[in-house]
Amino acid sequence: MTKSYHPDSALPAALHTEALEARVALRMTVHLHRAAQGLPHEITERLRFGREQALAAARRQRAAAVVLPQLVGVGERSAALGNPPSLWLRLVSALPLVVLLAGLVLIQQHHDSEQISAAAEIDSALLADELPPAAYGDPGFSEFLHSHEAP
Amino acid sequence: MASDKELSDFLKSVEKRAFKRTVYAVRDEDGALDVVQDAMIRLAEKYADRPAAELPLLFQRILSNATMDWFRRQKVRGAVLQNLSDFETDDTDGDFDLLESLESAEGMLGAESAADTVARSQILLAIETEVAALPTRQREAFLLRYWEELDVAETAAVMGCSEGSVKTHCSRAVHALAQALRTKGIAP
Repeated sequence: MTKSYHPDSALPAALHTEALEARVALRMTVHLHRAAQGLPHEITERLRFGREQALAAARRQRAAAVVLPQLVGVGERSAALGNPPSLWLRLVSALPLVVLLAGLVLIQQHHDSEQISAAAEIDSALLADELPPAAYGDPGFSEFLHSHEAP
Repeated sequence: MASDKELSDFLKSVEKRAFKRTVYAVRDEDGALDVVQDAMIRLAEKYADRPAAELPLLFQRILSNATMDWFRRQKVRGAVLQNLSDFETDDTDGDFDLLESLESAEGMLGAESAADTVARSQILLAIETEVAALPTRQREAFLLRYWEELDVAETAAVMGCSEGSVKTHCSRAVHALAQALRTKGIAP
């Protein structure tokens, strides 16, 4: 199969056309480039504003990218502190419970000793009285006491 | 990672072309400014950590997406789809000699005199008008390939199509522009 050649070129016809297209296109874009360079001041200013906005956005993004790993690091350290608690931390956290139990025991002991001392006072009063304790078991004596208490 | 200066320099180098390219697409300067600003901010927010060499391709893709988003917001997607189908109907002018047209267009453009500013502005206006009138995909391929100087593979990646489609779109765009210039008889 033989390739067809353009009469004015050593290139095959297809390549010649392609090269010609590229040359024409590039010359047209030279004109377009001139048009782009001659934009009104208002347009170039708005483009400059847009560019600055974009650069500010990029700076914000970079700052966030720096701060985020630091926050993650702090979070990881916090998690490490709370996850396997140290012996001291466990002892300190148990301290309020120990204090509460000790307080309850002391209150109970104080209450028992109060009851014992009250009973001892009653016993000593009974024993020191002239009336024998057995008299309080006598129904006649009880009746006597009731009749004297009533007006 | 692209530094602040690299990002700034890149945006500065690309913003005017991006604006013109978007104006051709949306035909509204305010809308184009919004789209370009949106694309620049998206690039800075999401891809500022990428190497500077990757920024051009990423930006072109973001700009294309931002332009499509603008069309969606404007609820003119139907018009865009209509334009997309335009490139299927290029064969109506059967006796048009593409090569002749290209060669004559090259001659006109190549012979442009820098001193003749009036003629130059006429050519410029004509080219801009014709570029804006191209079907969307052809214009996109033409501008990315020849103005942004992306290669065929990069253009295909930005446009989300095959390299063959890029070549077809570019070829049709160049021929359409050359034919339009020839029809207008633009001579420098």
